[in-house]
Amino acid sequence: MNAALFKPDETFRGDFSFRNSPQAIRRFPLPFPEDNYMYSVNIEPHLPGPAGSVTEFAFDVDEHYVAECREREIVLAEEPLRYQALPHMMSSQWDCLELIMESLARDYPAHFSLTKQGNRWRWINRPLELDQQFIFGDPASLPREPLDYITRQAQGDFVVMDQREGDLWAEAGMVTTQADWSLDFDVGMTFKEWHGPVPLAHEMQVFDRALKFLLNLRLGQPVRRLNWTMTIHPRLDTSPENYPKWGRDRAMVTPQNAGDLVHLRVELQGLWRLPRSNAIVFGIRCYLISLRELATVPKWARRVHRVLRDLHPALIDYKGLTRYREAAVAWLEPFDDGAPTSPGTAPE
Amino acid sequence: MLVTGIKSKPVYAPLQADARGRYHLMLGFGVGAGPLERVIAEMQSSASQGLRNVRVLYVPDLGSAPEGERFRALSDVQAFADTPALLVQFRLILEQSLMGTRLYVAGPESFIGLAMKIALEFNLNKDEIRAEECGTLARRVYCIHCRATTEQVRTNIVRCVGCDRWLLVRDHYSRRLAAYMGVMVDAEAPGELPPLKEVFL
Amino acid sequence: MSDSQTIAVEVVGIEQVTPLIKHFRLAPLGAAALPVFSGGSHIIVVMQGADRVHKNPYSLLSSPQALDTYEIGVRRMEESRGGSHFMHDRVVVGSRLEIAHPVNLFPLDKIARKHVLIAGGIGITPVLAQLEDLHGGSVPYELHYSVRSPEHAAFLQRLRGSEGARLNMYYDSEGQLIPFEPLLGSQPLGTHVYVCGPAGMINHVIATAQASGWPDSHIHWEQFSAPPVGDAFEVFLARTKISVHVPPDQSLLESIEAAGVEVPYLCRGGVCGFCQTRVLELDGDLVHNDHFLSEADKAKGKNIMPCVSRARCKRLVLDL
Repeated sequence: MNAALFKPDETFRGDFSFRNSPQAIRRFPLPFPEDNYMYSVNIEPHLPGPAGSVTEFAFDVDEHYVAECREREIVLAEEPLRYQALPHMMSSQWDCLELIMESLARDYPAHFSLTKQGNRWRWINRPLELDQQFIFGDPASLPREPLDYITRQAQGDFVVMDQREGDLWAEAGMVTTQADWSLDFDVGMTFKEWHGPVPLAHEMQVFDRALKFLLNLRLGQPVRRLNWTMTIHPRLDTSPENYPKWGRDRAMVTPQNAGDLVHLRVELQGLWRLPRSNAIVFGIRCYLISLRELATVPKWARRVHRVLRDLHPALIDYKGLTRYREAAVAWLEPFDDGAPTSPGTAPE
Repeated sequence: MLVTGIKSKPVYAPLQADARGRYHLMLGFGVGAGPLERVIAEMQSSASQGLRNVRVLYVPDLGSAPEGERFRALSDVQAFADTPALLVQFRLILEQSLMGTRLYVAGPESFIGLAMKIALEFNLNKDEIRAEECGTLARRVYCIHCRATTEQVRTNIVRCVGCDRWLLVRDHYSRRLAAYMGVMVDAEAPGELPPLKEVFL
Repeated sequence: MSDSQTIAVEVVGIEQVTPLIKHFRLAPLGAAALPVFSGGSHIIVVMQGADRVHKNPYSLLSSPQALDTYEIGVRRMEESRGGSHFMHDRVVVGSRLEIAHPVNLFPLDKIARKHVLIAGGIGITPVLAQLEDLHGGSVPYELHYSVRSPEHAAFLQRLRGSEGARLNMYYDSEGQLIPFEPLLGSQPLGTHVYVCGPAGMINHVIATAQASGWPDSHIHWEQFSAPPVGDAFEVFLARTKISVHVPPDQSLLESIEAAGVEVPYLCRGGVCGFCQTRVLELDGDLVHNDHFLSEADKAKGKNIMPCVSRARCKRLVLDL
C-alpha cells in the first residue's frame, strides 16, 4: 500500500468526492457468492487472504485511510457520544490499542511503527503524522483514552463486548461509520438485544448460534464475516442520529442517476478475543462502491441486479432500500443479459 | 424503521414468589397493588421461612384509588407521594441489602424501567428481578437526534419535547435509558406523516 | 477449534512448594513472547509420555503482567492416569513441552461490587492470577483458603505479603472449616463468589450460596478433575470409518485423539460443552460425567461429552 495512493482530501459528505480507483474496485469485498441472498451465520476464520485482498491483513488499510480518519474527526467534533466506554472496560481498551497498533505496525511497516521498552511504547503513524510516546497501562500518558485514541487512527467502527453471565454486553465502542444503529442507544445491551431490530434472523436462530460460537472464541483465532446494505452517496455517517440529514437522499434516486447515487455498502466484520479483559472486540470495516463502479465488472453487474431484484421484502424494508430499490434495479437491468454467473465473488 | 416484533422489547410475566430468595423487596405503582397483593398472599400461605422477609414500597395512583387504599392499609407497605420519592428510598434500601434479595416490580412500564435502572447499578440481574406490567402502556421515548426524553407517550408517533420533530416510536428498548427509541418519521419525505393512532394505552 | 497452534516451551524452574505440589516455570522457546492472559485462565499442557500423550489443563498462577514465563502448580494425584505423575517424575529443568493458548473459563466478573474468592488445596492456582488482576483496583475482595495443614499451604508467604487482612486461612488439621453459611449469608448486593478446589467443596459452596438466595450467575467455579475411569469399550467413528478402543484409564476423547482424529475442545473437564459430539447409534448405556448437558439431554442419549463421559455398551457410533 503505497503512501502516494492515499487520497487525503476525499469527502464522505457535502460534495462527496469519494471515488474508488480501479484497484480498489477489483479488491472490493462483494458479499454475494451467488445470485440471491439470505442470512446465514457466515463466520469463517480470519486467516490471511490472498495478497492485495481486503483480508490479507488483520486490519485493512486502503487508499481511503487518511480521508476516513479525517471524516471520523469531523463526526466526533460534532457528536462526542459516538464514542463511549463504560468505566469497567478500561482493560479491554488497552487490549484493543495493543491489537490495532501491533497489527498495523506488523502489516504496514512503511506507514506505522511500534517500539517498546518494557511498558514505554512509541507509536509512529506516518500518514497522519503522529509520533506518540506513552506508558502502556497509564491512561494519563495518552492524549485520549486508549480506545478513543487508537480508533481515530483506524478505518471502520469498533464495538467492545464484555463476556459475563453467559452473554456478551456491548459496553465500549467507536461508531461513526455505521449503517443506521446507535451506540449511544445500544451501549449496555446484550448480543440479542442490540440485534433486536433485525427481522427474520431471530426465527432462524442465527443469533443463538452466533452467540454460542462467540462465547467460545479463542485467543489467537479471530473470525470474520461480511454484511451489507446500501447507501445513497458515499456517505459513511448514516447514523440514526443524523437520519434527518441523510434520510431525504433516499427519495432523490431515479433510474437515471442511480448508477452514481446508489452505493453498495459492505461491512467486513472481524471478531477478536482480547487477552487481559477476556472481552471480544468487533471491528466493522466499511467499504463503499457506486453501482456505476460495480458495473465495470460484468459478473458483478449481473449478480447485484439479480440479488436486488429478488430480495426478500422484510430485508428490503430493514435494509432501508424501499424507496430506491426499483430505480437501482432499473439502472442495472441493461447490464444483465441473463447469462449465468460463476459461483464465488471473484471479479470477471 | 417500521419493523415490529423486536427482540429488544422487554417481556413481562405475571409476578410469582421466588422461593429461592431470602429477602423480598417489592415496588408498586397504582394498579400494581393487585399483583403485589397476590404475591404477598402466596408468600404468607407458604410454609417456606424464606418468604417472610418482605418489604413493600408503593405509590398510590389517583386512578386506582380503591385497591390502592386497601393495599396501603397492609402493614409493611411504605407509601410515597410519587415515583421519584419512592426511587430515592429504593436506592437507600439497596445500599444496605444483601445477596439473596429478590426484587418484584409491578406497575406501568415506565415505572418498571426507572426501577430497573437503579437495580442495574447494584448488579441485580434478570435472575433476581421479576416485573409485571400493568396500568398504562404509555412509553418513555428517547429522541435519538436531540437526546431528549418525552414522557407518557401513548401514540405511534409523537412530537419530541426537545427538538419538535415528529418521531416514530420504535419497539427498540434500552434498559440503560429506560426508554424506547424515537426516530424522525418523515426524514425521507418531509411532511408525510402516518396517521396518528393511540396504541400504548 | 483444537490445539493446532501450540506454543513450544521449556521448563526453566521447578520447586516443590508443598509435599504434594510442584511449581513449574515455563519459558517460550524461540523469540516469540508468551501471550497475555486474564486471571483465571488455564493452558493445556501436552506431555509426550512413553506410551501415550497426556493433555492436562493447568491454571496459570503467574501474574498476567509478567510474561517472561508462565507458572503452573501441579498436585501429585494418588490415582493418576499418568499426567500428574509425568509432571512430577519425568519433567526436569530443560524439559520441553507444548502448551495451547490460554483459555479463560473462570473469569472475574467486571461489574461485581465485591469478590469472594474461595480456594481449597491446589485450587489456589487460578486464584493467584485473579488476585493479580484485582490488585490496584477499587473493588473490595476477600480470600478464604482451606488446606490440610500449614505445610500444605502452597504460596502462603506470597499470599500473606500481598493480601494481608484479606487472606483468611483454614487448616483441616486444626479443625478449621470455612464458615460458608455466615460468609455467603452476609454479602452485599452485587457480590460474586468464586470457588476452586475439590468437588466436595465446590458442591458445598454452590449449595450454600443457592440456599442463601444467590442467583447462579453470581456463583463461579472451576474444577480440576481427571476424567473418571471405567470399563473398556469400543466406539465406531461414522465419518472417519474407524473403530477405536477406549481403555479403562484413557478417556474417550484421548482415545479418539490417539487414533488421529481431532475433536474440538476447550476445558477437557466436562464443563464448557465444546467437545459435544452426536451419538448416532447406541446399544447399551452412556455414562455421562459432564456438567454441561441437562438431565433431560443426558436421558435422551443423543449427545455425549467425550472428554469425561464413557459408555457401557455393545455398540456406540459417534458422528466423527
